Amino acid sequence: MVFLNIPLFVRARGPDEFWRKRRIFKLAAHYRSRTRNVYSFAIRSVHRALAYATKGRKLKKLDMAQLWTTRVEAGCQQYGVGLETFKEGLTRTSILLNRKMLSDLAIWEPRSFEALVKISRERSAVEGFPDIKQRSAFNQVYGLRNLKLD
Amino acid sequence: MSFLAHTMRQVLRQAPTRTSTLTGAMRCLSLAPALWQQNKPAAAAVAPIEVAAVAKDQQKECLSICERVNQQVAKQEQGRLFAVVHLCGKQFKITAGDIILVEGYWPPTTGDEISLDKVLLAGARDFTLIGRPILEPGLVTVKATVVEKTLTHTKTHFKKKRRKQYMRINFQRSPNTMIRINTIEVARPVDGNAEAEQEPSKRLF
Repeated sequence: MVFLNIPLFVRARGPDEFWRKRRIFKLAAHYRSRTRNVYSFAIRSVHRALAYATKGRKLKKLDMAQLWTTRVEAGCQQYGVGLETFKEGLTRTSILLNRKMLSDLAIWEPRSFEALVKISRERSAVEGFPDIKQRSAFNQVYGLRNLKLD
Repeated sequence: MSFLAHTMRQVLRQAPTRTSTLTGAMRCLSLAPALWQQNKPAAAAVAPIEVAAVAKDQQKECLSICERVNQQVAKQEQGRLFAVVHLCGKQFKITAGDIILVEGYWPPTTGDEISLDKVLLAGARDFTLIGRPILEPGLVTVKATVVEKTLTHTKTHFKKKRRKQYMRINFQRSPNTMIRINTIEVARPVDGNAEAEQEPSKRLF
């Protein structure tokens, strides 16, 4: 490819056709039917796939966050405490574990998680959260605002 | 129907017993004073004599929990410890022998021995130490080694708008660091009344 003048330079676009197409076909190798073998179909689906992959990297993080939230919620609901109450109780006790950790603890360290729920529960009872109806042991002992409850 | 009612009653009965096991269980907020509610004024409505008596019991209970934890640690019966550490803006649940991955730029180089100081929570078979928000420095030591520094696989950042002659493609690789956790140990006895007094300047990671 010799670029003697500008028009020739414009006509010679990119690498050779074979190599240009091979790059796309390599990415499309595992597709089915004509998207694997026909270039015009292959490039369309490869472009779409790459765009999905780019978006998917962000979505994966959001999905995981959602999953952790669900798990923590399920974990604290088995002790009769709502998620918001649980988190608020922990925060006011300045325990700053994130949801990923809480869900991990709920699954793999159920007794630690139970302790956390209890701590949070005591705190919310002391602070007089509306969700906590039941009097707790500490509340009866120190008699804090327990008149408000039940 | 009677069966349903029976189970419901059982469930209801379980709820209060769960609460009462808080004091019985060894697991409690054993580091910072478990009785942080102590300082708050007691309402006069509840019989005052009882309050004082039960409060003392609670205090004893707390001390005995710390003692039991210390005894277990002294006898090496606590088993394998796990810890939740805060590292590079993320929290990791780790135990000895684990490899964790730090994503992005992080200065330590291969072979560095580091100690992870921000321990949010440490636990064993029978007890859990919960930090508010972190355990006091030197209570639980987590030693780690930087094993490997590499780059991620090539991520293709591709954007395209149909029929608009718009297409962008970029390739990126970001640094990754592998850290192996060597040991997690309870370094000194747990005492129930120590308030965390730490120097933040010493904590780097």
